[in-house]
Amino acid sequence: MKEPILSVRNLRTYFYTEDGIVKAVDGVDFDVFQGETLGIVGESGCGKSVTSLSILRILDEKGRIVEGSIVFDNVDLTKISEESMRKIRGKDIAMIFQEPMVALNPVFTIGEQIVEAIVLHQKVDETTAKKMAVDLLRKVGIPEPEKRVDEYPHELSGGMRQRAMIAMALSCKPKILIADEPTTALDVTIQAQIMELMKQLQREYGMAIILITHDMGVIAENADRVVVMYAGKAVEYTDVKTLFNDPKHPYTWGLLHAIPRLDIEQTRLYNIPGIVPNPLKFPTGCKFHPRCEFAEEKCKSEEPELKEVVNGHLVRCFFWEKVEQAKKKEAGDKQ
Amino acid sequence: MRTETKRMIKRLLRNPSAVLGFSLLIFFTVIAIGAPLICPPQSYDPYMIPIVTWDKTPQPPSTEHPFGVIDGRDIFYGVIWGTRTAFKVGLIVTLTSTIIGLLIGSVAGYFGGWLDEILMRITDVFLSIPYILAAIVVTAFLGMGLNKVMISLIMFGWMATARLIRGNILQVREEQYVLAARALGVNDYLVILKHVLPNTIFPVVIQATMRIGSLVITAAALSFLGLGAPVGYADWGSLLNFARNWLLGASGEAFKYWYAIVYPGVAMVLFVLAWNLVGDALRDVFDPRLRG
Amino acid sequence: MVAYIVRRLLLLPLILFGISLIVFGMIQSLGSDRLLAAYVNPGLLDKLTPNQLEKIKEKYGLKDPMVVRYVKWLKNTLSGDLGWSVVGKEPVKDAILNRLPWTVELALYAIVPVVFVGVWLGMIAAVNRDKFIDHFVRIFAVVGWSFPDFVFGLLVLMVFYSVLGWFPPGNLSFWADTVVKSPEFKRFTSLVTLDALFNGRFDVFVDAMQHLIAPILTLSWLWWAYLLRITRSSMLEVLTKEYIRTARAKGLAENVVINKHARKNAMIPVITVGGGMVIQLFAGTVIVEMVFNRTGMGSFTATAATQLDYASIMASTLFYSLILVIGNLVIDILYAAVDPRIRFS
Repeated sequence: MKEPILSVRNLRTYFYTEDGIVKAVDGVDFDVFQGETLGIVGESGCGKSVTSLSILRILDEKGRIVEGSIVFDNVDLTKISEESMRKIRGKDIAMIFQEPMVALNPVFTIGEQIVEAIVLHQKVDETTAKKMAVDLLRKVGIPEPEKRVDEYPHELSGGMRQRAMIAMALSCKPKILIADEPTTALDVTIQAQIMELMKQLQREYGMAIILITHDMGVIAENADRVVVMYAGKAVEYTDVKTLFNDPKHPYTWGLLHAIPRLDIEQTRLYNIPGIVPNPLKFPTGCKFHPRCEFAEEKCKSEEPELKEVVNGHLVRCFFWEKVEQAKKKEAGDKQ
Repeated sequence: MRTETKRMIKRLLRNPSAVLGFSLLIFFTVIAIGAPLICPPQSYDPYMIPIVTWDKTPQPPSTEHPFGVIDGRDIFYGVIWGTRTAFKVGLIVTLTSTIIGLLIGSVAGYFGGWLDEILMRITDVFLSIPYILAAIVVTAFLGMGLNKVMISLIMFGWMATARLIRGNILQVREEQYVLAARALGVNDYLVILKHVLPNTIFPVVIQATMRIGSLVITAAALSFLGLGAPVGYADWGSLLNFARNWLLGASGEAFKYWYAIVYPGVAMVLFVLAWNLVGDALRDVFDPRLRG
Repeated sequence: MVAYIVRRLLLLPLILFGISLIVFGMIQSLGSDRLLAAYVNPGLLDKLTPNQLEKIKEKYGLKDPMVVRYVKWLKNTLSGDLGWSVVGKEPVKDAILNRLPWTVELALYAIVPVVFVGVWLGMIAAVNRDKFIDHFVRIFAVVGWSFPDFVFGLLVLMVFYSVLGWFPPGNLSFWADTVVKSPEFKRFTSLVTLDALFNGRFDVFVDAMQHLIAPILTLSWLWWAYLLRITRSSMLEVLTKEYIRTARAKGLAENVVINKHARKNAMIPVITVGGGMVIQLFAGTVIVEMVFNRTGMGSFTATAATQLDYASIMASTLFYSLILVIGNLVIDILYAAVDPRIRFS
């Protein structure tokens, strides 16, 4: 088996706010392999974005990584100095954000922002860097890159801005690209184009992608492996095929039921009952138990661990077998 | 809503500068209400500082006149009754100018079109004359005195509220729920009123609170220049005007007339500080977007 | 960008027209009897019969219709005929020209410390949010903002003049004033400090500066507090923006993130709001010149107001408004220079 280039173990990131401690990430494990796409999926507020910010250590001042390790290239990123971390940001691990509108600085041109990243990490002068920026813009499919390079973010459309963002992230050929909801803010047709572009660039550069999204559809089409997150914790971790064909955590099972399907007849769309819990007042025991239809007394007091139940399939649930039974029953009902 | 209010009050009480601001305000209110008890009036007009001596030279604080005497008048009496003057000017001017601003702003925002254009250009013109200068000029034309000062401050004090209200109405007009209500045939005046008021009332109150301080300063500045309250009126600005005349002629005589500046000066700074602290605190709690 | 400035320039006369209407309206509100004072020696007025008064009113056009009088007044004003100043005992135009340089000098010297110190303190406070220096700067700001300029000025006067004797009130010492008025002293710029240097009179320069420092400090104090508050809150808001996170994710050092990416954005509201305040600072010279007994536009206006010298009051109002309107235009242009979104819309 090949070595992962990034492995996250038992990551815990807490925010110390006026109203109390928010355990935004509270136990997440996963590995990222070269050339692969790891999907992190979950509802908003489940800690998936904070996970990515923790990897780059760009949390705001209230947030702190309190436990766990993030090993990249045999170095634990939680232990190294801020200065060494800066050399990794943007160079080895780059990131693109959800809202290209607000993620690009409005008072600098696209070119200035890309050149800045290139000059910072590579030994080239500004003129060369600008030529490289134009090439990058062309590569990500921006028409007339020579002209666009001198334009400001607000002069570009949403899709073009996200392309520019990608160009900036790829400027130093990173080993890992973290894409935090890269298409959520875009039109559906543009979404597909951007995802296609990312896949194509991934093949070309051989980089790994960490794709963060709430959209199961995006995961199904793009990810190789998936971490499902709920209330700051990884609840299920496996490869994408297994996840969709054989989900073992009640939450994942519920999420997959919430997707409308054309291949079977559905009278009513399934909804997970209840709401995402307030991060200041997480329930005791298993964080999912108030919404879980399989929960028992044990789930209210004890917290399950993320355990490998089948080869390469990790689940955080005491009663994952119940999901198996439910799946069988459902299959029986259909016939 | 009630638990929400409780939480707000709790947050206010947790903020030390808010507590200081409210305490100062309560202190000044008590003084203003109790003025006749602290310093019983000695003539038919309680706001006129009684003349205690015909010797114009300032006299330092004594048991009889704890803050000293300037131009023959008791500074302590002036500072105590001056609190009433400050409240009177601050509250009346703020209330009236806010109401005028509300009216002009909502007419402009609601009717829009050319009426809006005209009202907003008029607002621009009023904003093009520096506040202190406008107050000086209008007071001079109206003929001096505290009431004239208040009129001029009102005349040039409504623009910020008008802009705020107009902006809010324009914004609410574009909101989905207002469009939806209009599509259903609900009278849009009612819709706007219903949605604008709750969204606007706090910003307006906060803005008004924060304006009181600078307003009291401007009014006192006019008295200081000799345009506001008549000579001998219980007003902090007038007391400081006396002080200035003595100070300019007092080279080398260290701190000789300090009491004439320090007592009315401190009263004024604390009064303005109280309103500014309360305004800041209200803004922090009720309108986090404006937090500074 | 050019179209934007042109549009602003076109609006400028419209606003000035509005101001002139207000000013003219105020003059008219006085009634024709009081207006006569601007044309006839007030001492003479009592001796004239009503019949003579009517004739004089007709002679000066006080009985003409409003529109005719407005046009006439506007014509006079535009041609520089602003009437006779009772306070200055000379034509209003000359009175203003003689006093303006003193005020310009004071305001110019005050603006520099206000802008640099105010913005600098605001940045420091924002970057060190909730640390000791932030609390200190915020207390300074709220107390400073609550301190009326004339109270502060009186305290400065008390300490630095009465006690220490460092900074005397007035514009110049008597001996320096004699030097400046002598024919050997050539006026290049009409600003005394600069001219003193050009004439090689370093002693006059020092004397002028001694008279300037206390008023500058007083003028700056209030606006420091204001500017630093705006800068701080603007900077704090910018620091929460996603593009700041992008900049950090690029691997930029924190000081580059703050000094390059954050600061340029944070300056946008500082320029609009803070710039307006810098203009108000010009109006603040009214109070400061009175406190420090200086000759200038500010004390001229205040004195004219207390002595009901209408011609001088009107001219001063127009003048200050003109400064404010032009200042706003400059700010808008600066604004467009910093914010590309404005430049192209």
